[in-house]
Amino acid sequence: MAVTKKTKLSREEELLLQDFSRNVSTKSSALFYGNALIVSAIPIWLFWRIHQMDLWQSAFLFVIFSLVSTYLVAYAYKNVKFVLKHYIAQKREEGITKEMMSKLSEDKEMTKKEKDERVLWKKNEVADYEATTFSIFYNNALYLVLLIVFSFYILKNMNPSVYPFTVYQLLNSIITNSQSWTISAQK
Amino acid sequence: MAATTHKMFLVACLVFLPIFASADTCLGPSVSAETYTTSEVTVSTETVFIAQFTLTCKNGLQNVNLYAEVAGRMIPAVKTSKPNEYQISITDEYKALRSGTYEAKFYDEESFSALKKAKRNNEDSNSVTPLFSINISHSGLWQGSYIQSEFVAACVAILVWWLAFSAKSKLSP
Repeated sequence: MAVTKKTKLSREEELLLQDFSRNVSTKSSALFYGNALIVSAIPIWLFWRIHQMDLWQSAFLFVIFSLVSTYLVAYAYKNVKFVLKHYIAQKREEGITKEMMSKLSEDKEMTKKEKDERVLWKKNEVADYEATTFSIFYNNALYLVLLIVFSFYILKNMNPSVYPFTVYQLLNSIITNSQSWTISAQK
Repeated sequence: MAATTHKMFLVACLVFLPIFASADTCLGPSVSAETYTTSEVTVSTETVFIAQFTLTCKNGLQNVNLYAEVAGRMIPAVKTSKPNEYQISITDEYKALRSGTYEAKFYDEESFSALKKAKRNNEDSNSVTPLFSINISHSGLWQGSYIQSEFVAACVAILVWWLAFSAKSKLSP
């Protein structure tokens, strides 16, 4: 009996867990992987048309590293989203509570606990949406700026076959950044 | 009687000989030409002039050997795979071929040897009339843009990232 009490979570607790969870919904995940694939495929155009690499000769490298890049960029999206979500939730808390309370004030039958739950749910939804979109925007901007600066300036005099390493370095920077934010947020 | 016939034949030969002889010279040449000159320095190391033309003679003469004089250079015109189509090209440093209109004068073998002789004897080469001439108009060289496109792309990317970064800094303390 005691065990069932422990494992069974209330709705509020579930919401709270969802709020602090690192897991993302299937919809968010699809959005992340789709965006990551697009942004990872951009370097192919750059290396093919601008740096004059042969598309078919390097196709194997392009495909492999674009896929690796897709996974890592999606990972970076998740990390940044996880960190930002809490900050956004804190920032928007007051406004959301005010808005929801004015909406729910007419409903006299609703208990305070239920109202709080609604506010919590709305807050989670708003923070989730904002963190998802901002995370995609921020990581894409960082990815592209590193790609341009690395490929045109820092690795300017290197052999074109350096492509995989370039992407690898870019991704490493993104992931390291994302992880350091996560760690600082957890502290 | 036989002697008279021989004389008549000789006269006829003398009368018609210049006509047959003139078959080596292109009469009333009409030319349709296309020219190309280097337009920018970013993709080239030297200035190139190319002129390609089709020559039609009124007397139907074909495959004439032609020589050209362009910007003080004397070169043979190359026959292309198409009938009566020729091409000439010259290359030199950017400074040697400034912008302007260059006249490419074309000569056949006879007039070309006359031209060479005139030059050799330091005579006026203008006294030798070319068969025809083509104007090659060189509008000068584009030196490339002052700002490179990758620099603009990098600046825009940095600006967008900076906006994203400042927005993120506002969100997280």
